[in-house]
Amino acid sequence: MGRYIGRRLLLSLVTLWLLATIVFIIANVLPNDIGRTILGPFAPQESVDALNEKLGTNRPILVQYVDSMFGIVTLDFGDSYITSQPVLPQLVDAIGRSSKLAGLALLITIPLAIVAGLFAARRRDRPADRAIVLLGVTSSSIPEFVTGTILVVVVGVHFHLLPVLATPPPGADVPTQIRYLLMPATAMAIVYFGYIARMTRAGTIDVLQSDYARTATMKGLTTSQMMRHHVLRNALIPTVAVIAVQIGYLFGGIIAVEKIFNYNGMGQTMLFAAQRKDIPMLTAGAIVIGIVYMLATLGADLIIAWMNPRIRLDAER
Amino acid sequence: MDYPKLDKIRGTTTPLQLDVVESFARGRLSRREFIQRGAIVGLSMASISAVIAACSSSTPGASGAAPTTGASSGASAAPPVAGGTIRVAAQRPSGPLDPILMQDLGSYGTTAMVFEFLCTSDPSQPLVALAPGLATKWTPNDTGNVWTFDLRQGVKWQDGTDFSSADVVATMERLVTSGNSGLKGVLAAGGAVATDANTVTFNLVTANGNFPYLVSVFNAQTLITPVAFTTGTTLDQKPNGTGAWKLTKYNQASGATFARNDAWWGTSTPLDTVEWIYFDATGPMVTAYQGGQVDVIIQFDILSGKSLLDDPNFNSVALQAALHRQIWMRTDKGQFVDKRVRQALALTFDRPALIQTLFQGKADLGNDHVIAPVYPYFDPSVPQRAQNIDMAKQLLSDAGATGLSATLHCGQILEIPDLATLLKSQAEQAGINLTVAVESLDTFYGAQWCPAAPADPPCSGSAELGIVDYGHRATPDVYLNSALSTKGVWNASQYSSAAYDAAFKEFQTSVGVDAQKTACGKIETILNDDVPIGVPYFYNFLSGSSKQFTGFYSSGLGQAFFATASKVA
Repeated sequence: MGRYIGRRLLLSLVTLWLLATIVFIIANVLPNDIGRTILGPFAPQESVDALNEKLGTNRPILVQYVDSMFGIVTLDFGDSYITSQPVLPQLVDAIGRSSKLAGLALLITIPLAIVAGLFAARRRDRPADRAIVLLGVTSSSIPEFVTGTILVVVVGVHFHLLPVLATPPPGADVPTQIRYLLMPATAMAIVYFGYIARMTRAGTIDVLQSDYARTATMKGLTTSQMMRHHVLRNALIPTVAVIAVQIGYLFGGIIAVEKIFNYNGMGQTMLFAAQRKDIPMLTAGAIVIGIVYMLATLGADLIIAWMNPRIRLDAER
Repeated sequence: MDYPKLDKIRGTTTPLQLDVVESFARGRLSRREFIQRGAIVGLSMASISAVIAACSSSTPGASGAAPTTGASSGASAAPPVAGGTIRVAAQRPSGPLDPILMQDLGSYGTTAMVFEFLCTSDPSQPLVALAPGLATKWTPNDTGNVWTFDLRQGVKWQDGTDFSSADVVATMERLVTSGNSGLKGVLAAGGAVATDANTVTFNLVTANGNFPYLVSVFNAQTLITPVAFTTGTTLDQKPNGTGAWKLTKYNQASGATFARNDAWWGTSTPLDTVEWIYFDATGPMVTAYQGGQVDVIIQFDILSGKSLLDDPNFNSVALQAALHRQIWMRTDKGQFVDKRVRQALALTFDRPALIQTLFQGKADLGNDHVIAPVYPYFDPSVPQRAQNIDMAKQLLSDAGATGLSATLHCGQILEIPDLATLLKSQAEQAGINLTVAVESLDTFYGAQWCPAAPADPPCSGSAELGIVDYGHRATPDVYLNSALSTKGVWNASQYSSAAYDAAFKEFQTSVGVDAQKTACGKIETILNDDVPIGVPYFYNFLSGSSKQFTGFYSSGLGQAFFATASKVA
């Protein structure tokens, strides 16, 4: 298992390097004057030149690349071109906020979706199953920005039940923070509910149709015993894999949701950096999101290996 | 008319101040214009009040043109309450909060909470009139090329050190060195001199009757910073101003929090804190207000904020302003070189319909020049251009441009794409076929309006035809200089006219009210005839707050003032 983890971590480092390089190339490949982009079209050319000199963006591209990679290795992502502040603390703040939002969305989605998926699978082709499938397809086909907007108008503006901005006041306690995040988290949860529920349903139906499940039933196990000991572990393997990918996606920031609720998570931070050619922020942000993705998939692989010993043994070979 | 009282004041004024007083006494200035012009030339509020009182019995137009819906929010008659927090929806700063180099409304507003100007915005006419800030009085010499500013005494920086003339001189040097567009050609290095600890003398390159505006809230970078401040330092790095508020928290992506500065020189501010929440667009600001999460919207546009105008709990403020759009036409090459073609396009504009459709009537008619009706030196005698399709067709025919086809470039911002579409349909009536090209702002500014190359003359790579947005300015100098003078840095039409340049020079160096009006009359006539730019309207500045608060006002350039703001009981 240790060798397996080590190999995965090594691969992760290579992936991170590739990711950083791709981001750097994308950020620099288009002809653009970073000083002009930052200061805007009305700034005098002398100010633009002075800013480019200060930022070092007028240096050869290779020098900038080496500098950028060295910074990543030493975890010194430099200062933001826009705020002149170190990038890392700003990203840590943003990822912290995204973690709260994503965490709450997952906390709402995962239990609900898994229970709904299992329930639907056990009542396959009955009205309850059809209703859950229909609900799942409908909810996952409505984009977050639509559900978010509807929630804002109905819940926030019309009934004043929840705040329309997701950022809680400074120093807010946990219940207050949850109250502020509930609406955007719900908008995200609605979309992922359908996806995870359908995946759980499909995995469970597969397992319920397997020979060993049939044998267990014939041996006289109760439904709940069979579900607990034989079905869940196997049925949830694809669900775990899907959730891992969704975690990375959610942490990366659902830009539309963050914009609607004016929430300063990773999505807004990255969008802001991309629009203003804030390359240190963009590169560091991509690396951080990449790390979250890799940790999530690594975690999922470990859980899956724990759930299914055959996978673990394959990996160790 | 109380002549003895008036004579007493006359005896204490400089020639320039006397010119303003005489203009008011003879009815050439309304009360509003007099207050505005009087403040510019350094008349104290006491003198202004005395002149108004002396003339009040007989001054024609003395009622003035007060803002239609009030300059400051606060329709409620309920008494103010001390303490509390006001939440402000503001535009997000797009760059570092460097007071010297900042270029956007979000940065202007945030920095002006902590730092202050020599001259600030007058709450009664916040878009055009000046009031004392860090300077208590400013006086020109007879020719208007030397201005003396008396500084407020007893002012302290937030770190406890004393504010003095050395801070002002150092700030001015930094501004001149960095090429501040307002001061360029007006103040040279070494032009600001500390006469003593509380007086600064500005020796200008050339006479300038509007100089106080150039060191005021209306030239947003002229915030006074400490002598040791350096260009490139940002507010969040060194939040050490003289203003009513102290920056306690700043995050560009979310907002800023300000606490009351108890050591401020002004009156005690009723509110404890001001919380700025940053937005990228007006729509979410309006939603946030409707959801009860912001109390003030510094600026909103009519397209997104239409519902606010009808909200009984929202105190909306609509102020006449110089906000406008310029439809530039290249005068040096291409299809618009012949001025008859430019006139023809301008004749297709149905201006009243544009104003009604785009602004619900909350705008003034434009007349293809940049002297907005809000300015005291606006000359209304220049005939207003109205839609005349037959004349447009005739001019096109005379110029051999029948069947003209062109691309109208514009950026994706506010009402401009809708304006472009309306202009296209109006131009079609005269047989002009416009193709509307709406682009992202980066592309539009960088590739169509003023591409960086070729750099000489500036903007010589601009498109043949386009619409560009201009914000409000308390004086038209920036529009006249940058957008229209020969080799102006934003001269997208590549307009070059010796007559216009001379008239602009005349306006800039004029120090009397009559002289400025005369110069403006010439400018309006020349531009209206040459039509390097079409200006269909000047739209109102819209802002407002919940009726739970009173006493807030905004300058129109992103800055908002909360020193007297409070909750109502």
